[in-house]
Amino acid sequence: MQRAFSTLKRLLSIQIRSQLQYPLSFIMDVIGNALILGFYFIAFTFALSQFEGISGWTLGEVAFIWGITEFSFGVMDMLFSGFDYDSFGPVIRKGRFDQMLLRPVNITLQVLGSRFVLRRLGKVLEGLLIFIFGLSQLDIHWTLIKILYVPVLSISQVLFFGSLFIIGATTTFWTMERLEILNIFTYGGSEIMSYPMHIFPRPIRLIFTFLVPAIFLSYFPAVFILGKSDPLHAPKFVSFIAPLVAVLMMFLALRFWHYGIRNYQSTGS
Amino acid sequence: MKAFLATINISFRRQLTYRAANLSGLVTNLMFAFFRASVFIALYHQQTVINNLSVKDAITFAGLTQMLIGYLSVFHWYEMAHTVYDGQVGTDLLKPLNFFLYWLSVDIGRAMGSFLIRSLPLFVVFAFFYDITLPQSLLQWGFCMLSMLLALLISFGWRFMVNLAAFWTPNAIGIGRFAFGLSWIFSGFYMPLAFFPDWLAQFSRATPFGASIYIPIQIFLGNVQGGALLQSLFIQCFWIATLWILDHIILGCGVRKLVIQGG
Repeated sequence: MQRAFSTLKRLLSIQIRSQLQYPLSFIMDVIGNALILGFYFIAFTFALSQFEGISGWTLGEVAFIWGITEFSFGVMDMLFSGFDYDSFGPVIRKGRFDQMLLRPVNITLQVLGSRFVLRRLGKVLEGLLIFIFGLSQLDIHWTLIKILYVPVLSISQVLFFGSLFIIGATTTFWTMERLEILNIFTYGGSEIMSYPMHIFPRPIRLIFTFLVPAIFLSYFPAVFILGKSDPLHAPKFVSFIAPLVAVLMMFLALRFWHYGIRNYQSTGS
Repeated sequence: MKAFLATINISFRRQLTYRAANLSGLVTNLMFAFFRASVFIALYHQQTVINNLSVKDAITFAGLTQMLIGYLSVFHWYEMAHTVYDGQVGTDLLKPLNFFLYWLSVDIGRAMGSFLIRSLPLFVVFAFFYDITLPQSLLQWGFCMLSMLLALLISFGWRFMVNLAAFWTPNAIGIGRFAFGLSWIFSGFYMPLAFFPDWLAQFSRATPFGASIYIPIQIFLGNVQGGALLQSLFIQCFWIATLWILDHIILGCGVRKLVIQGG
């Protein structure tokens, strides 16, 4: 376990060092990224300023969940870069995955350490700023549970998005190509989690409740933390099962990943 | 001219062969169109018109922007830059076809193919789910088609320029990421420019990005008519001319300093 950890640390530090070789270009990349992504939120504030809130939610409340979601997705996108199904396709096609399988190191660890996209810090930074903006606009009735629940929620989201990335990477064992359709759940999931999810029509909500349980990681916890009334009339406990859902998703994703590896048949090239 | 048309044809047919990828992209863009439309419906709530934009127009906007993703390659396009890095550019420059026109024809073929099997079905399916705004006359449909075509030529103009950076730097894709990001900001791709503060909306509309996404949408929705419509088309033509001239100048400089590693 300890050896595994130090291997991972080594792999990641090499990644980080190589990406910091051109510091100016790196910083520009991070700031540019944050500005571009952040502008989507700014565009939303322009839109919202023309109306009176969105289905009973104020700008600050939306910023709160928007910020957490962006922040968590950014952290995940950095930690789980190796499983990013956009870049995992070439790893399979060029036979680099076969090389990894030959090494006497845990394969999951190797994939995790194979890529670490540091410029995703832009998204992390952007999410954090939006979250802070949200807090500044809100007058939340803080309790100890709420204060503790915010970081737990963020970690749960990281695990949740990470499990989607692992599932995405696993599908490329069979397809060899990235499946763009998975973007509906990863990038699309993070997009709809940024809004109060009761605004979406029932079929979309059902997909993101029972197929990909995104609603338990954003809308329901936010209803509790922000003290909103819930037009969906869900039972109270659903606000608190975010960590449970996340761990379960990660467990299933890893099962699928190992199943994929057992049935992996290389491209032969 | 014959080679130009033949390249369009081949590129068009190549795009049509990626059936699964196109279908996958179509479904993805369609779902995002549903997401965005739902947000507009929630925003408008009981209001009907904001700054000349009705809820019906906003929903149509959601469908149109997602439809343009494939056609205008809104997220990324680094095909030409990759040929500079792998040396293919050497053979391409030797072809008895102007390098710029060669890539233009490749892109037109790609865009046409994508439009036919990705954009068009997406919009038709989208129209089944929502009450949307459609052009009112045959003439407006015609202007809309013309504007969409001009939009492609503008979009190609700046995408080609971004790719030209590959002649100078090994990090053209990093520069590209930034340029594409700017295009999302100023094209009105995120949100209709009608929601933006006036100065920003005016500015965005005048950029090549606004000219390639927002202007065709405005024409489709019937928000610009008569003199304003002609002015919009003029802005589009202005950007095509400007970008293409700049492309040629930059390409000329790039080719002169290009060194291809022997294999």
